[in-house]
Amino acid sequence: MAIVDTRIETADGPAAAAGGRLRRPTGRAPSEPKAYVGWLFIAPNLLGVLAFTFVPLISVVLLSFTRWNLVSGFGGIEFVGLDNFLAVFQDPTFWRSLVTTIVYAGVAVPLTLVVGLALALALNRDIPARGLLRAAFFVPYIVNIVAIGMTWQMLLDPEAGLVNQVLGVFGAENLPQWFASSNWALPALILVTIWSQAGYANLIYLSALQDAPTQLYEAARIDGAGRWASFRTITWPSLLPTTVFLLVTLFVGISQTFGMIALITNGGPGDSTTTLSFYMYQTSFQFYRFGYASAVGLVTFIGIFAIMLLMWRAQRGRALHD
Amino acid sequence: MLPASGLSLSRRQFAGAMGAAAGTAAVAGCSSGSSKDMDTLQVWGGIPAESGPQAVIDRFQEEHPGTHVTYTRYVNDDRGNLTVNTALQGGVDIDVFFTYGVPNLTMRTNSGLAADVGDLVRATPELEAFLDTEDPKALIDGDEITALATTRIPQMVLFNEDLRERAGIELPTQWTVEEYLEVIRALADDGKYGTYVLPDIARIELGPNYRFTKDGNSNFSHPAFLKHFELAAELIRDGVLYPWSQALARQLEAYQQNNFIAQDFGLWTTAPYSLRFLTDQENYPHDFKVACAPVPTLDGNDWNTGEYGAFLQINSKSPKQDLAWEFCKFWLLESAQDVVKAGYISLLGDVGDDELLDGILGEGAEEFFDVDSFRRTLFEDQPRMHLDTELTAYTEITQKYQQQRDVCWLLERTPQKAIENVDSNAQALIDRFEED
Amino acid sequence: MTDATTTATTTTASTTTTTAGGGPGRGTGMAQRQALRKRRDRVRRWAWGIPMWILALVFLLPFAWMISTSLKPDLEAFRIPMQWIPHQPRWENYTEVLFGESSILIPFGNSVFVAALRVLGELTTATLAGYAFAKLRFPGRGKVFIAYLATSLIPAQLLLVPRFVYFEKLGLYDTLWALILPGMFTVLGTFLMRQYFVSQPDEFAEAARLDGANELQIFFRIYLPNALSMISALAILTFVWSWNDYETPLVFLSTPENYTLPMGLTSFTDENGAMAAGLSMAASVISIVPILLVFLIFQRRFVRAMTESALK
Repeated sequence: MAIVDTRIETADGPAAAAGGRLRRPTGRAPSEPKAYVGWLFIAPNLLGVLAFTFVPLISVVLLSFTRWNLVSGFGGIEFVGLDNFLAVFQDPTFWRSLVTTIVYAGVAVPLTLVVGLALALALNRDIPARGLLRAAFFVPYIVNIVAIGMTWQMLLDPEAGLVNQVLGVFGAENLPQWFASSNWALPALILVTIWSQAGYANLIYLSALQDAPTQLYEAARIDGAGRWASFRTITWPSLLPTTVFLLVTLFVGISQTFGMIALITNGGPGDSTTTLSFYMYQTSFQFYRFGYASAVGLVTFIGIFAIMLLMWRAQRGRALHD
Repeated sequence: MLPASGLSLSRRQFAGAMGAAAGTAAVAGCSSGSSKDMDTLQVWGGIPAESGPQAVIDRFQEEHPGTHVTYTRYVNDDRGNLTVNTALQGGVDIDVFFTYGVPNLTMRTNSGLAADVGDLVRATPELEAFLDTEDPKALIDGDEITALATTRIPQMVLFNEDLRERAGIELPTQWTVEEYLEVIRALADDGKYGTYVLPDIARIELGPNYRFTKDGNSNFSHPAFLKHFELAAELIRDGVLYPWSQALARQLEAYQQNNFIAQDFGLWTTAPYSLRFLTDQENYPHDFKVACAPVPTLDGNDWNTGEYGAFLQINSKSPKQDLAWEFCKFWLLESAQDVVKAGYISLLGDVGDDELLDGILGEGAEEFFDVDSFRRTLFEDQPRMHLDTELTAYTEITQKYQQQRDVCWLLERTPQKAIENVDSNAQALIDRFEED
Repeated sequence: MTDATTTATTTTASTTTTTAGGGPGRGTGMAQRQALRKRRDRVRRWAWGIPMWILALVFLLPFAWMISTSLKPDLEAFRIPMQWIPHQPRWENYTEVLFGESSILIPFGNSVFVAALRVLGELTTATLAGYAFAKLRFPGRGKVFIAYLATSLIPAQLLLVPRFVYFEKLGLYDTLWALILPGMFTVLGTFLMRQYFVSQPDEFAEAARLDGANELQIFFRIYLPNALSMISALAILTFVWSWNDYETPLVFLSTPENYTLPMGLTSFTDENGAMAAGLSMAASVISIVPILLVFLIFQRRFVRAMTESALK
């Protein structure tokens, strides 16, 4: 949406040529390739996605109308109609997990994005030992989830953990109990999530920044535009597709967080860190209620899909409006 | 070098996979082709091979020349059990497997994964104990028997003798919950806690199937449950029990041996399998002696909080039923001396108490243990064990119970409110899953 | 702590903008301006470098704790208060993990094999498809792409069960192919490449088409070489996803010889709970090395891609 107006602004400046070029990202070329060429290009990926995602998805839809525990094999599948779906809507744990998921992803995703972008901008500058620095910020993302869980449990120990000791030095009182409190467990989880995921956002932003049109910066500089102005008019617009990508992938990734919850809190204390994806895992692989878990997953999927569709529509509407 | 090794391994796997796709009934799990050998038995269990199973297998192979037994160890947690379930369902070559915990047991049995050994048990006089339906040690459904318990896992109360003597407490040989409470209050002093957690008072009073009323409804409105929550919360507030916030933050629920070794608390309710830590001076060095007392009684009720466990089952799809049964019989009757080192007391077997005791307490027992107290508690007193057979929504109810217990013991919610939540949640689950 | 980290980083971000606000004097001559900028840049290099290094150390603190724990005997790992320097570094933890009874070498080899094939497959299928969605017009493109996006929203846990059944029927259960095959055709990779190609100009293709180049040539000769840094990013990400994947092997593998690293790592903690902290941390530290290498190698690629574009 912002793409459109920034380009119009810069169109007057020396960046006009490049800006104009960007204006029609999918414009019609003079000699169009034949239609089947596109299909050929996507075929390898599409066939794989159909086989390994789409077909299983259909099975899930079928499963959601049954009662099944996996262990009993196909013979044990029992058709129960809409029972599972009715149960989902009456299940208080489902609704609480939904709220937990919204809070968790709603806070962790934007913060991860902001931290990742800030780091990328800082690391894109000329600073000593930049390569090593980039690696340093990337390390948390590649650390094995088992190690992350153990380490943060120690660091956030209410009594002896480093974090609370530091807070204590600064004279903080009523120190947070982190994973040992149903009020603090979710914030603690968000903190660890940002720590581990910021490196990912950072990496993607860095790559995008390096592919950013350098000529434009020169042009803008000659034109006398300040850093903030060139960030707003050149960097940010060129980062928009990346940001959209990150928003979607971070949302998908974070809302599906499983390992961290399973290893650190197991959904607790109480059910304070039971997110929908963890609840789904529990219902399938701890309670062995696969039909019900499929229904929970489908309802979740349809919900997310509807929200995304609305956002998509809204964005298109705005773009047209502009 | 590394990629190469990965490649060669996987080429073999790929070949195996293709073979299976070509129509072979069972996916061989990509282990070597010899696993389909009729003389090779595949056994899956939860105890590490070196802690006993391998010794049992070696002796079995000696007695049955020409047979070969391969033991695969899995970890008895959600993840490990999932592996077993998927492997059984996925047609991996398994002939005999161990199951821990009744929920796993019923699920595997109800799904037809376990063979019926009823006739075989009835034909073997030494296994008569498994036919007892009053005090069940097997999964019995009419004439059908699908699982046989191999061990009893009694709970016991361990004393750190240094701390006990310092507090001037006499070692109890039989005691009530009231006396128990006095003892832990006396032990809680000088930066130490009395104990880690209270034994399950409701279990002591109510015994098997304590979560359900006679007509199958939720029994959590029984005062024993409220009493358990209330007492514990009060003792946590008073600094007598180990703070639950730290127990949660450090995930102590499954393993408390570190804190007992570090003398954080003077008294520890646990089961014989924990003794392997106390006999391991190299990894768990300590210089205090340990004595054993029974689980306290409540108003004359003396249910032990431990149960029968480690069930043997034969895969119903196994083509080697006879050999599998031979192996099961051998395990049930002749494995006692081997598995005792890992702290498992076999249900049957002709090994004497003293030999078992030696096995559990290891070498140099006199130096670290009050051996008589262990003999008395574990063998002479005959702890009264239980086995839950009423299993509606068992895992879900356990989870609800633990959630409410946690917030209650973190002192975030009153015991009254917490137990009410457990009760209503359990009832809702029972209503929903009753017909299962 | 959440607040602390984020404010720290956002402050740095806003300082960028304020210091940048001054900008070079307008209307000065080219040479003069460049000299000025050079001097100022040198100061700035360090003015920026030092806070970034401090921040990086904060980020690395948990990692330092891991290394410290990996050199401790089990009992010491969870001693309170925390000890940063082990009494006696226990290097045996590393030899034990590498060559001991439950050596991680086999899981390590399996992980390398899986990751290598996944990266290869992913790079091939995702760049082709991403490019097509961005640059080639064909009927149904929009609809298929929306369907793709929708697919990416499917909770991963939802597909585990049907995939399990499916792989069992195909004879892929308990083989590494159960991890490799779905990982070769991902929606996210396609999405990443599509987003990248969208931001690239169309003119190159138009010009090349006028010159009579076919679509494959345009893709391989023009767009692909330009996309190397994004492809490197995708390679790194795919490698990480594959390397640390924990749920899929959990459900699809059952024999220990087939385990990949995360399953191999948890085997240390499973035994006695958190007790095997030293061993599992040592294994974790080892498991990070290959990813760091991949990262550092491809990062060089980033830099080269950048200098190449600067020379143009």
